[in-house]
Amino acid sequence: MDISSLIDSLHPLEVKVLSIFGANPSAVLRTEELAESTGLEPSQLSMAVEWLLAKSLLAVDSETVTPIVSLTKIGELYFEKHSPIERVLSAARDLAKNGKRLTIQDIQSREGLEPSEVSGAIGRLKKEGALLIIQGGCIESTGRPSQTAEAMRGLLQQLHGASRELQAFSEAQRQVIQDHAVKRGNAREPFRIDDRVARALKLSVVGIEAAQQLSRQGTAEEVSQLTSELLKDGSWRTKRFRKYTISLRAPRIAPGKRHPYREFLDTVKTKLVSMGFQEMRGSLVETEFWNMDALFMPQFHPARDIHDVYFVKEPTHASSIAEPFLSRVTQAHQDGGETGSTGWNYSFDAERARRLVLRSQGTAVSAHTLAAQPAVPGKYFSIARCFRYDQVDATHATDFFQVEGIVLGGDINFRTLLGLLNLFAREVAQAKEVKFLPAYFPFTEPSVELHVRHPKLGWMELGGAGLFRPEVTLPLGVTVPVIAWGLGLDRMAMVALGIHDIRELFTDNLDLIRSTRGAL
Amino acid sequence: MPTITIFKQDLEGLLAGPGEARQPITMEQLEESLMLVKGELKGQNPDTGELRIELQDSNRPDLWCCEGIARQIRVKRQGALVRYDFLTATSTSVKRLNVAHGLEKVRPYVAACTATGLRVTQEGLAQLIQTQEKIAEMFGRKRRTVSIGLYRLGAIEFPVTYDLVKPDDATFTPLGMDTDMTLGEMLLVHPKGLEFGGILAGQDRLPFLRDAKGQALSFPPIINSREVGEVRVGDDALFVEVTGTDLSMVVLTLNIFAANLADRGAVIEPIEVMYPYKTDLGEAVMTPLDLGKSRTLPVRTIEQALGQALGAHEVAKALAGYGYEVMSMGEEVTVTLPLYRQDLMHAMDVVEDVAISRGYGDFLPVMPSQFTVGGLSRIEEVSDRVRALMVGMGFQEIISNILGSPKDLRDAMRLEGTEWGELVEVDNVMSQNFSALRQWMLPSLLRVEAASSRAFYPHRMFEAGEVARPDPTQPLGSRTVAVLGGVIAHADAHFSEVHSCLDTLFYYVGQAYRLEPIQHPSFLAGRVGSIVSGGKQVGVIGELHPEVLERWQISIPAVAFEIDLTELAERS
Repeated sequence: MDISSLIDSLHPLEVKVLSIFGANPSAVLRTEELAESTGLEPSQLSMAVEWLLAKSLLAVDSETVTPIVSLTKIGELYFEKHSPIERVLSAARDLAKNGKRLTIQDIQSREGLEPSEVSGAIGRLKKEGALLIIQGGCIESTGRPSQTAEAMRGLLQQLHGASRELQAFSEAQRQVIQDHAVKRGNAREPFRIDDRVARALKLSVVGIEAAQQLSRQGTAEEVSQLTSELLKDGSWRTKRFRKYTISLRAPRIAPGKRHPYREFLDTVKTKLVSMGFQEMRGSLVETEFWNMDALFMPQFHPARDIHDVYFVKEPTHASSIAEPFLSRVTQAHQDGGETGSTGWNYSFDAERARRLVLRSQGTAVSAHTLAAQPAVPGKYFSIARCFRYDQVDATHATDFFQVEGIVLGGDINFRTLLGLLNLFAREVAQAKEVKFLPAYFPFTEPSVELHVRHPKLGWMELGGAGLFRPEVTLPLGVTVPVIAWGLGLDRMAMVALGIHDIRELFTDNLDLIRSTRGAL
Repeated sequence: MPTITIFKQDLEGLLAGPGEARQPITMEQLEESLMLVKGELKGQNPDTGELRIELQDSNRPDLWCCEGIARQIRVKRQGALVRYDFLTATSTSVKRLNVAHGLEKVRPYVAACTATGLRVTQEGLAQLIQTQEKIAEMFGRKRRTVSIGLYRLGAIEFPVTYDLVKPDDATFTPLGMDTDMTLGEMLLVHPKGLEFGGILAGQDRLPFLRDAKGQALSFPPIINSREVGEVRVGDDALFVEVTGTDLSMVVLTLNIFAANLADRGAVIEPIEVMYPYKTDLGEAVMTPLDLGKSRTLPVRTIEQALGQALGAHEVAKALAGYGYEVMSMGEEVTVTLPLYRQDLMHAMDVVEDVAISRGYGDFLPVMPSQFTVGGLSRIEEVSDRVRALMVGMGFQEIISNILGSPKDLRDAMRLEGTEWGELVEVDNVMSQNFSALRQWMLPSLLRVEAASSRAFYPHRMFEAGEVARPDPTQPLGSRTVAVLGGVIAHADAHFSEVHSCLDTLFYYVGQAYRLEPIQHPSFLAGRVGSIVSGGKQVGVIGELHPEVLERWQISIPAVAFEIDLTELAERS
């Protein structure tokens, strides 16, 4: 870096320190002198000095370390209430006058001292011959003075509210201070010894050059922020703008954004609309009729069990099921009615049909659409929240989205069904290779499972589809063939979002939601 | 959809037929062949040859066993099913099974046969037991409609009686026990009695199967006798019976067992069941019995549904290769299902079998060509619009479960006993955490806030989604409503901040609104308003009540609003 860009990058505090040297580049100045001549706060000065040292503009000429003694909080407390050693000694003397003896516990409770303070004090007093420990753990004053107690009193008075250099004390005092100074592992002491480092500083070779250049160019006032005032009165022309260290990490912000899973579903939605599909919506609460009966799932079907579907507590039943659908579906179940089917050959329970459940499959929405005179030709889709009576774990959710729909038209047959699935494979999964496998769904015949080779995931099941059975379409008033299709997108979504647990799709972790990029 | 365990070497033996050398099948061929049975290989152990296969079709119980899978593949390879001779065999001394009066009201139907000349192997026995369990469980609706009993034939003296007795009037040692018990005691004590006793609830007399000597065979559909009702490896003669409440399902189940045992080399002899009451098949029913009714359908129907011109010959070939008996062909084909199937309800079932038999790969995909216009529902359009606005105002979108707990949705919001606290609750609760549909959005957002105190502030969050509100005037007892909820949480969160957001939102949606002071337990009194637009209350806005925050263990101020998007969508 050349000198002028070095100078440009200096902080105003650094400039201030350097310019003190400007008058006499070869001077050696102590920190106190610098403090005085710059007028900076000690913390500011020390920051500026450290920066300049780091940039090798300043160098340390010499360094003197002076130990300084001061009182800790404990020390100030001892100043007010006397030190434990004095209190133990005087307690022992007091009682000796009354002819009593004290146990160590008595002193502790009488004086409200810590056990360690009492035992420390007694130890020292005994060593100095001021106390005796006699039978039963009692102590007795010998009447002799304690040098430590004396010294301690004097030191507490001298150091109260002021610190002094350690060297200012006598050898004996220094010993007491060192014995009672805060050390690692023993913070409960009255004295603290700190090293005061006094540095003498001088300019380095580069520093001399910088200081000279600074004094030559004069000190245009440096500002950190362009303001409206500077612009209005044009005074920005006389200012210097401090340069930033732009390699620093940017502060984080939280933008407003879509949920990554919703973003994924939005993309799917957009693709479906672009393929000519119209969106359908339905109700979270459904009757068994629309959720299952209309789909030709017999009322004894295992998937209608109490262990598969959530039933509503109150009210338990819908008030009615619309006609003519109820009668026609009843017929279809019992003996096929007019559908050309033999039916399931059981007695259909119309009461059961009104039972309220939480929608367990998106196909319920399609059933409603079929009954509502849909367009022919017509394409419909829904992204419907569905509920299953499942233990929640990493791969099972109790509450999830199903993407599915229908296609109606005179040209619908098994081959156009395969054609549509090809289109989904290409558009939704970017897959060129597909496999069609025979499958079983209660409401379609023939039924197909669509497997695709996903560019990232390899072979995976993308969805299931089929032609609605005539037992489904005819009772609902639809006479053209209808494709029913469903896409299983959760695995793709989880990969796109980089998660392995299906529960994380609905996570409550804001940090995770904010930081997930989401991508297709 | 059952998942079964079979062994590859057993399958290979069955593919060849009894007495023939095994027909090896590679794993690749097997996976290909599984398409014929809608099967998926779920796991395998190459060391033992064990294969785990899931069968999708719940209407094809004949496929839920090694014999059935092998048969479907064999038929395809041979081009047609070799007809089972036990259906036509006439024996001079037919064994009989007599049915007692009164069973028509308890468990009316029974079908039975004997199987001799086979040797029960380890693998064969495992398949027999697995088939018995899977069919009774999934096809027989947990034994209610169909249950199956297998016995050692040698010890049985005919005729057998399917009797009806008082709970204390019959005694035998059931499987899994070592002392005699009455039928009544079995219901109270035996594990199977406890599991399946409900099927006979309310009956004062119980089904009981015994032979001519009065020896107990079983207590259908609960448990067999330990003496004769336990088939072992090495047995060479079996008695098979099926009881139940649906005659055609009972007969079909027996047919499947007869075919399976015949495929393993057994000679099947029918048994004549004598009913004291009328059944759809008469009073004397010889079982196994082919119930297949022929069905005639135009070749054109099949071709139209498949979208491919095949011609009668190809259709017939495909169906014969799938096990159908083709009676005639021309403009129409007349076909009959094999005895082990009864799942032909509609012509479309035949269509699918043609496609499966030929292979789905045989059909070239064609794009549907008719033009349609795509689009979103009105509510989705409105929802997308407000979502974009919320994002623009710096809110992070959230998605939550709609199923929650009354504790979070109502109690934590201080809504106990209020109309805002009314919920659509689940009857068959599995977990309290998922026992009610959310009636509003704010608990979903507070759930995130409560879990995210370590995410840097401010927090601005929204969710647009569905809620369910109880409404007795609706046919379903509730309404599904799309709503938008927003929450702002940070040290200085304030009513006016969230009010600005609401105001901005309404401006861009192009609707007028005003706030009316209300009392709402979830918000601080005097800092909450009802959002009124078009003369209707369409939402609420305010500073969340400290007690609500405390109940959620949120220790930072939060302000929030919620509006009804369905209402806005219907209006504009």
